[in-house]
Amino acid sequence: MNMSIGRKIILTTLLLSTALVLIGIIAIAAGSAGMHFREALAILAGPGEPDSATATILWQIRLPRVILAAFVGGTLALGGLVFQALLRNPLAEPYILGISGGSAIGAILAMLLGLSYFPGVTFFSFTGSLLVLAFVTTLAGTTMGNTMLSRDSLLLGGVMMNAFCAAVIMFLISMTRSFQVQHILYWLMGDLTTMQKGQLPILLLVLPCFVVIFILARPMNLLLLGRETAAAMGINVKKIVLLLLVITSLMVSVIVSLSGLIGFVGLVIPHIFRLLLGPDHRLLVPACLLGGASYLILCDLMARVLPSSGELPVGIITSMIGAPLFIVLLLRNRT
Amino acid sequence: MPRNTDIMLTLALIFLLLPGNILAGPVVDQVGRTLVVPENPKRVIALAPSITEIIYDLGQEERLVGVTQYSTYPTEAESLPRVGSYVRLDLEKIVALKPDLCLATKDGNPKHTVEKIVNLGIPVYVINPRNLEQIMDAITRLGSLLHAEKAALELVSGMTKRIEHVKEQVKKGGRKPRVFFQIDAEPLFSAGTNTFIHELIELAGGINTTAGEVSYPRYSWEDIIVLQPEIVLISSMAGGLEPEYLLNSWKKWNLLSAVKNNRIFVVDAELFDRPTPRLIDGLEVIAEIIHPELFKENNIKTAE
Repeated sequence: MNMSIGRKIILTTLLLSTALVLIGIIAIAAGSAGMHFREALAILAGPGEPDSATATILWQIRLPRVILAAFVGGTLALGGLVFQALLRNPLAEPYILGISGGSAIGAILAMLLGLSYFPGVTFFSFTGSLLVLAFVTTLAGTTMGNTMLSRDSLLLGGVMMNAFCAAVIMFLISMTRSFQVQHILYWLMGDLTTMQKGQLPILLLVLPCFVVIFILARPMNLLLLGRETAAAMGINVKKIVLLLLVITSLMVSVIVSLSGLIGFVGLVIPHIFRLLLGPDHRLLVPACLLGGASYLILCDLMARVLPSSGELPVGIITSMIGAPLFIVLLLRNRT
Repeated sequence: MPRNTDIMLTLALIFLLLPGNILAGPVVDQVGRTLVVPENPKRVIALAPSITEIIYDLGQEERLVGVTQYSTYPTEAESLPRVGSYVRLDLEKIVALKPDLCLATKDGNPKHTVEKIVNLGIPVYVINPRNLEQIMDAITRLGSLLHAEKAALELVSGMTKRIEHVKEQVKKGGRKPRVFFQIDAEPLFSAGTNTFIHELIELAGGINTTAGEVSYPRYSWEDIIVLQPEIVLISSMAGGLEPEYLLNSWKKWNLLSAVKNNRIFVVDAELFDRPTPRLIDGLEVIAEIIHPELFKENNIKTAE
């Protein structure tokens, strides 16, 4: 196919947006209170009778939930993509650098202090992730003895930070009274139920991050060629890497404070799209954003509909699907 | 707070617009929130098993349209629609049942879920009983909400009489034995001062060995040997383990006087973990265990 990159981007975005809208409608139509396909389609036309129970369920319970799932999924997939480009490692994810762990510690501390989700938990969570990020990048800088951020020491420092964060989280949980433990455990499993309608505007914080990452898609392509090559082509490697790390941490911690730890989205989605679309980040950034959003809406739908009573934390679904799927992708890639 | 007033106004508006819903005007619930409730609630959802129990005790079950998982008492409640468990409520199912009033507990239902239900335009009355007196207060409040003032009064005066009886008997008794109440096993948890269990032990004429600031403190066997309990009460739900196993886990510690004198009892967890009138059954059970000499003549159901 001899299509210009611009046309490819538009085509991919259109296709994936359509898929996202369709999946969104299905997710709004289905839930524990039954299926409402006709009513869900009517949502496209505008609100129906405001008083009926069905309208309340669709508009005030399912729609905010679907929007949250879309933002969470898109952000996590994009976060994974950025980290994989920066570390040139297909296994990288915000988790692997300890950034999710750091924001989880911050968030749990804020919950134990009884702070509100916004700004309290979000702020603590962002602070936690920045502290971990600062520590890991300083470590990577000093161990190399130069100012370049080394890939391996970033990764190693991150893995160790993650282990440390996990221990701190366990410590906090063991010190917690029984009533709060349940809430925190569900949150750690990755849970979209705690979202309040009033919190939806917080999600807008991540939109500028998406834009910046899209603008930096071309430098990310060059980074894939190696730092020396990228520097030779006129890229300020350290600046770009730091900017991407901070921006990604910001959006990931906003999301983590709202949804808890949801794994594997940042691993599986970028992987699938790299297989389908190739390594160009100008295509991959919008694709991961939209694809990640659709994927998490689907997983959340399963979390809501599959159990006969109550619902599952969505993180369980993403990991149960994500891990085997990732293995299949790895095997197919090899043959 | 301006936001609260906004919600209140919206709520008031919604209810004024709904036909056939006569308002009882604003009421204040047990945690001090002001809310507007329907004059005659016809579709009530109980968001915790304890509330389901109290509604049945008040004879108002025809108003109930939904209950939570584990609402197993009385057995008739098991046939009612479920709206998730009290910590993980299913909002969709709640809305689909079209309730005109939800009854919640501060301790059990997560605050953010309660706020969500309120934001959906459904009034939520919250009770927060922390001791026997407040349980009776909660019963009186639910009685007046559901037009069962007389039933509530009878229930409360019955409870008061039974508590008074235990108090009088205990007054005659001498020394207060040291009691250890095990609510969970592996890890081992007990009950601190700010719990119903503490209140029941003290009323029944015992000393709670684990009194203290922490509501549900964790204990090791080492700590227990230091505590030297004379009577051990084990919740039948502890650790999801068999009563036989729970008893045996204590019996190896021969140096404890409770073990030496064989004063270790498994008691029905349901009588101790729900803030309902059944706590009085629990009180009578442990009063007889702690002071068998005072309560022998009573025909109280004994623990195994």
